[in-house]
Amino acid sequence: MFCSNRRFFLMAGVAAVLNAGAAMAQEDEAARKARWQDLANEIFGAQPLLDGTAKIVLEAPDRALDAALVPVSIRVQNPQEVKSLYLIIDDNPAPIAAHVSYGPAGDPQSLKLRVRVNDYTYMHAVEETQDGALYETHRFVKASGGCSAPSGAYDEAALAQIGEMKLRLLGEPQTTGPVREAQLLIRHPNFNGMQRDPQTQGYTPARFLKTVDIRLNGETVLHLDSDISLAADPAIGFAFKAQPNGKLAVEAKDSDAQTFKREFALTESRS
Amino acid sequence: MRRKIARRFASNFTLCGLVLFLFAGLALAEVPEPQDYWTGALHGEVPQTLTGAKVLHTDELAALLASTHLVLIDAASFPHKPANLDPGAVWKPVPHQNIPGSVWIPGIGEGHIETNVEAYFRDRLAVLTAGNLDQPIVFYCHLQCWASWNAAKRAQSYGYRKIHWYPDGAEGWRDAGNTLTTAQPESVPQ
Repeated sequence: MFCSNRRFFLMAGVAAVLNAGAAMAQEDEAARKARWQDLANEIFGAQPLLDGTAKIVLEAPDRALDAALVPVSIRVQNPQEVKSLYLIIDDNPAPIAAHVSYGPAGDPQSLKLRVRVNDYTYMHAVEETQDGALYETHRFVKASGGCSAPSGAYDEAALAQIGEMKLRLLGEPQTTGPVREAQLLIRHPNFNGMQRDPQTQGYTPARFLKTVDIRLNGETVLHLDSDISLAADPAIGFAFKAQPNGKLAVEAKDSDAQTFKREFALTESRS
Repeated sequence: MRRKIARRFASNFTLCGLVLFLFAGLALAEVPEPQDYWTGALHGEVPQTLTGAKVLHTDELAALLASTHLVLIDAASFPHKPANLDPGAVWKPVPHQNIPGSVWIPGIGEGHIETNVEAYFRDRLAVLTAGNLDQPIVFYCHLQCWASWNAAKRAQSYGYRKIHWYPDGAEGWRDAGNTLTTAQPESVPQ
């Protein structure tokens, strides 16, 4: 009797703990939903966000090893209908990580970025179609720690190379057809203003890329708006409608109103 | 039940886990204690030790909280809005969450501390410990966060003898199945 009672209490205890856990998770989930509703209202107003799970694939590690450098990939199934893409990291203090608008030479099929993530958060990818509809998809990401858009250490020597760029063409032209994928790397600390400067002891002023414009032979590929959620040394993976002997021109502006420009001739040599 | 799942998980991923663990171990072992306060980015790999202080992990902290009167201090930074953020940008830090019963004093873990912030920190410690230098104090912030390491080191320099450092942070506490609570920062002078 005593024994069975004890078992009963033990089981009741376990059940209570499990229930408490489930209740906590539910509460947490409700708070996250409310946060997203709040953000969606602020960013998109009253416009409804339609279910985009069939149109957009948002990829990121379930658990990122470094909160200051989390790779994210957005792929859309309907690139010809897409006007722009948003990447929103719900729990970052400045949640809109990137907004990319596409021009006639761009192809929205693939967008890859590296971002800072504040701890555990939902991430949303939103596509705006040519006819003005909004579709969203989301995923949950756990980054180890992370203090409010964490920025890791940034090498002083790298600062001297601010604005330097590299472009890598990905894939083989004969297999990928006229649309090519490329990765643009821009040297930039993307300081988020939450670090102290060891010399002056004040906050290192935020200094981040605000816009990146990519053009192919004068035609717009894409325009990126961003701020402190992009990781240091931003890497932008994008697709475009390649032309033989085309020239990709990149113009990046940062929050210090400095402009960085670079042109890349599209020969098939790899760097 | 949880243990059974954990065991199954463990057997499936033993090799992978072992390799990861070894790498993690190597990475951690590479971070030595700085001589003075850490003045680099507050987010990053931290040492496994703090000379003169006791390092606690979640089980030990839970046990200590159950048995002893502890002063729990959250040294996490307050998100600092960059002045040059676009005027139209959305700025919405999430409410800060920490271990119930904590006192959140942002700014005490910076590599360099302003005189008035330091004075505030000293005064608060004196009040919270009722002037008892043997009162156990626990410092924490986040995983991979130097702020609590610096703050704990600083408290040692004021003469406190029972300093504990909990490097797993609020995330470690939550991940072990414990609750966090929404916290308000103390009004530390700027």
